Amino acid sequence: MAECKDSGRSPSSSMDSSTHPVLSTTSSGCRPAARRDDLSTDLQLGLSLSPASSLLVAESKSIPCTPRNRVLPDWPPIKPFLRSALTASARRQRTLFVKVYMEGVPIGRKLDLLLLDGYDSLLAKLRHMFKAFITYADVMEYHQRVPHEKAAHVLTYEDQDGDWMMVGDVPWELFLGSVKKLRIARTDKC
Amino acid sequence: MAPAAPMGRGGSRAAPAAAAPPWHVLPDEVWEHAFSFLPADSDRGAAAAACRSWLRAERRSRRRLAVANCYAASPQDAVDRFPAVRAVEVKGKPHFADFGLVPPAWGAAAAPWVAAAADGWPLLEEISFKRMVVTDDCLEMIAASFRNFQVLRLVSCEGFSTAGLAAIAAGCRNLRELDLQENEIEDCSIHWLSLFPESFTSLVTLNFSCLEGDVNITVLERLVTRCHNLKTLKLNNAIPLDKLANLLRKAPQIVELGTGRFSADYHPDLFSKLEAAFAGCKSLRRLSGAWDAVPEYLPAFYCVCDGLTSLNLSYTTVRGPELIKFISRCKKLQLLWVMDLIEDRGLAVVASSCNKLQELRVFPSAPFDAAEQVSLTERGLVDVSASCPMLESVLYFCRRMTNEALITIAKNRPNFTCFRLCIIEPHTPDYTTHQPLDAGFSAIVESCKGLRRLSVSGLLTDIVFKSIGAHADRLEMLSIAFAGNSDLGLHYILSGCKSLKKLEIRDCPFGDKPLLANAAKLETMRSLWMSTCSLTLGACRQLARKMPRLSVEVMNDPRRRCPLDSLTDESPVETLYVYRTIAGPRFDTPACVQIV
Repeated sequence: MAECKDSGRSPSSSMDSSTHPVLSTTSSGCRPAARRDDLSTDLQLGLSLSPASSLLVAESKSIPCTPRNRVLPDWPPIKPFLRSALTASARRQRTLFVKVYMEGVPIGRKLDLLLLDGYDSLLAKLRHMFKAFITYADVMEYHQRVPHEKAAHVLTYEDQDGDWMMVGDVPWELFLGSVKKLRIARTDKC
Repeated sequence: MAPAAPMGRGGSRAAPAAAAPPWHVLPDEVWEHAFSFLPADSDRGAAAAACRSWLRAERRSRRRLAVANCYAASPQDAVDRFPAVRAVEVKGKPHFADFGLVPPAWGAAAAPWVAAAADGWPLLEEISFKRMVVTDDCLEMIAASFRNFQVLRLVSCEGFSTAGLAAIAAGCRNLRELDLQENEIEDCSIHWLSLFPESFTSLVTLNFSCLEGDVNITVLERLVTRCHNLKTLKLNNAIPLDKLANLLRKAPQIVELGTGRFSADYHPDLFSKLEAAFAGCKSLRRLSGAWDAVPEYLPAFYCVCDGLTSLNLSYTTVRGPELIKFISRCKKLQLLWVMDLIEDRGLAVVASSCNKLQELRVFPSAPFDAAEQVSLTERGLVDVSASCPMLESVLYFCRRMTNEALITIAKNRPNFTCFRLCIIEPHTPDYTTHQPLDAGFSAIVESCKGLRRLSVSGLLTDIVFKSIGAHADRLEMLSIAFAGNSDLGLHYILSGCKSLKKLEIRDCPFGDKPLLANAAKLETMRSLWMSTCSLTLGACRQLARKMPRLSVEVMNDPRRRCPLDSLTDESPVETLYVYRTIAGPRFDTPACVQIV
């Protein structure tokens, strides 16, 4: 069976193009920005890949080399009216995106809290995103429960009043109603 | 008038007065009358090529002209050659402009065409522009230049505003059709609808569904009331549901309706009002709209379902059960456009209920979401192809496909004329065997001998192009994306596909060699588009030198101004657009587009 050579794979063909002077990226922008609003694609991924970083992704064979990892603004081939209608209806569906910063890391992440069903899944998601051990609510209580594991980070949030609070004290629904931002702080600073 | 010349028939007997003129010296008027029975432009073109007198008769009597590429000939050429045209259609940007692949300001200005028409075709009645830049000045000129102007159709155009529409409304006394499909129209808050005079009653088609702004509903109601011949009415999102009901009561003769925004909180009163309004529309056959639909209102349509032949639900986000209940009542459907929210089980119901179906389009509801959320697979298409014997046109977005399914579909429906399959994730193989989908698409082209349009997707090697090149004899338009593995793929296509007119390719590993080897083929085609392939500037230069009747356009990144002359032959080319033309190179290219 004929194998698909690398030159046929879209990310690498466009990766090659980024090193040549004449070639453009695939986003040649035809319609005005109001129509081609690709926020939904960025939001879904939660991470905007620059061409350079997706080049690294393509090189490392651990991640499959498909455009799933890269946002293609002009694929699949749907017309602008349908595209903007889908984007508009996606936005109308409820989402609650908050920024998440880890202390010491300048670049933050974004997270849709409505996709989670509680504090445990929030912590699990953040641990996965930041590759760090994060705890919440009562730090002392946690240490009492798991003495041999000392968490380096604790999860805090900024509420509507602008105050920074520790996550976990109020019921989840109440939390959703008041959270504006998340911050993963170092425990020794708390 | 050619004189009758006796040919010496009947031996020695000379009877010049009684002898009929030989056919080849019949007067032009006779030929013109004969040609008026030829249905297709291509037939008229063939007749015109037979001899000089037929050429003269045909071109002088041509009433309808379709210019498929606005740069293939100059407007003046068209006006000079066909002086009696009453209806003209001009298309501009390449098809991939719909998906943002063509740089802004690329071209396709309608102004030169309007100017030439105003000068040479004062009796022009119909204008159709597709993918062109139409300005308010153009619309003003149209309103001022043609005293019997009747039909204006603008599809996927841009560059004009409601001010231009106002000029049309005010100036075109005999307007029958104003059909605005998917245009980008700037809202200048001008109440253009009010500019149709009170004495104006000739409207048959009014489609302003793509207009973003508000519309004076009272004025619209008065217009609809006095235009007794109104058959097609397609509203925009500014018309609320209860006003829709009022409009329907004023125009019960309507045949085609676009509902505009079809959402409101459920009120039993509004429901009854709508239901009653629809019950009055006994002639309603075609239904469409931007339905942020509220499922509770769908039953209001039940009374028209029996008569519906065309249903466009491509903006409907209503889920399975209500949708299926609604569609299953439309037993006479010939055309169905729907979201993938219908899922396989919905399509199974369509297959059993709507066996007059001719055209099916299934659009993706969540194309940017990597996760599979909707259960629409190859199963749906297989069911519909099995049970709908008249199905001939398909556009299907899905996330998985198998060769076996495609082979079955091909066997079920050899009568496909248009088959467009878009598997959303590029390079997706057959999900059961993990093989490329070559076998499946090959079966399609081998079985469907009348196939005119094909779009392929999924994991594909050069093998599928060999089949397409060899078997798709009637294929006129082919779209390829993320497919093939070498130059051979393109070579198979260009050296085969006898009837190919338009070829559009993106993100495929096709290079210079097949392009240059098949340069002559390009002159038999309308156009070729290749973006993000493996072309070099040198090949484009060579092609341009070799084929002077082709226009070879190279498009660069708009952010980088890089004059072509300074680049070497080895420089890669991001986008190539080649088309045949008798007009020579155009002079209206933006900085990022260069004609080689």
